[in-house]
Amino acid sequence: MRSIDDDAMNDEEFADVRAALGLAATPVTPSTGLKNRVMSAIAMTPQVAPGPRAETPPGATDSTAVAAPGAATTLAQARWFSHPATIMASAVAAVALFFGGVLAADLIVPRSPSEAERLATIVAAPDVSTVVSAVAGGGTATLVASDSVGLSAMVFEGLEPLSTDERYALWYITDGVPTAAGLFAVEDAGVVVHVLDGAFEAGTTVGVTIEPASGSVTPTSDPIVAIATA
Amino acid sequence: MLNLVPSQEPFDDVDADADATVEAASTLLQRVAMGDQRAFSELYDIIAPRMLGLVRHVLRDHAQSEEVVQEVLLEIWQTAPRFDPNKGKAVTWMLTMTHRRAIDRVRSAQSSRDRDVKIGHRERDREYDSVAENVEIRLEHDRVEKALGRLTELQRQAVELSYYGGYSQSEVSEMLGIPMGTVKTRLRDGMMRLREELGVAS
Repeated sequence: MRSIDDDAMNDEEFADVRAALGLAATPVTPSTGLKNRVMSAIAMTPQVAPGPRAETPPGATDSTAVAAPGAATTLAQARWFSHPATIMASAVAAVALFFGGVLAADLIVPRSPSEAERLATIVAAPDVSTVVSAVAGGGTATLVASDSVGLSAMVFEGLEPLSTDERYALWYITDGVPTAAGLFAVEDAGVVVHVLDGAFEAGTTVGVTIEPASGSVTPTSDPIVAIATA
Repeated sequence: MLNLVPSQEPFDDVDADADATVEAASTLLQRVAMGDQRAFSELYDIIAPRMLGLVRHVLRDHAQSEEVVQEVLLEIWQTAPRFDPNKGKAVTWMLTMTHRRAIDRVRSAQSSRDRDVKIGHRERDREYDSVAENVEIRLEHDRVEKALGRLTELQRQAVELSYYGGYSQSEVSEMLGIPMGTVKTRLRDGMMRLREELGVAS
């Protein structure tokens, strides 16, 4: 960057003057896509730790904060929770664990505009909750869900690529009954996000198994991750 | 460019609206600092049109301007926990970031080339006039308009070209055909005068 020495336009003492000049520019309505992109991106983007200022007590959370407490651990069904790699979930700041400060906007490309839109809807919901869990075999999964919107999405980081005749399968498990919610493959161990097919409702468990590429009616293997919601 | 600007009906009462923006942004940013995405959604609704208005005023290209706004919004989200309300207003903090990114962009190689082409196609004076005219028309905040009106002509030119035009001091010097040192002093004098007129805290 060029030197800004002796440039009143960059002088800290005029910050409020510049802001007043900025507010005086006529507002321009952004395209609708911008908000979707931004809301999707922030859902996947960790925040920095608070600085030296101390008014905010650690752990203080607004009632409308991202991760609704209690979203985490309800042991619903033995099969989905006997596995060693299921929930180690703690709700708060889950997504932040993923990206190690890398801007997620560069990593996460929802597969279609409609997916981005649905993801944005979930994230913007007042009752959105976020739960992170380890994945058996490596990696992490984060469930981002909203009961009021009736949708959920899973964000995976570090999933192993499978053989060509296998797929990861998403499941909703409600009252012990699994319902298929989508199949997907990963090409490398990066970050992938999937909005689940079908309707999410609070109390449902979201699980992932490895299934034949053709899919299965019910899970045929132990879940590599299962996340219960309250 | 002006005919691309949507009508201003949501901003009829401009003073009250600007004040409301300042108030609401401050409250919302503190919630955002705690990871509240819902608050961020509300903050977006009030601040994004302001940010885009400013960036497009500088950059002129709508698509590029939206890119810049998107980057800045992400930066706001990421760094909100570090914002210290005791050190300044939320709106100032956000618009400062916005303006800085807009200037960075306009000075980047590609943008500069586009800009040079645009400038090259016009008379220098006309270019200046269009900047000034846009500024006049777009000023929704009476206080700012009045304050700018109290500057000397040269102070006002320096401030407007520098802030809204995103031109460096040497560019302003070249455009107005006055020495660099004169630009520096006029700009500083102009900003000091504005600060007095606007009664904003330093």
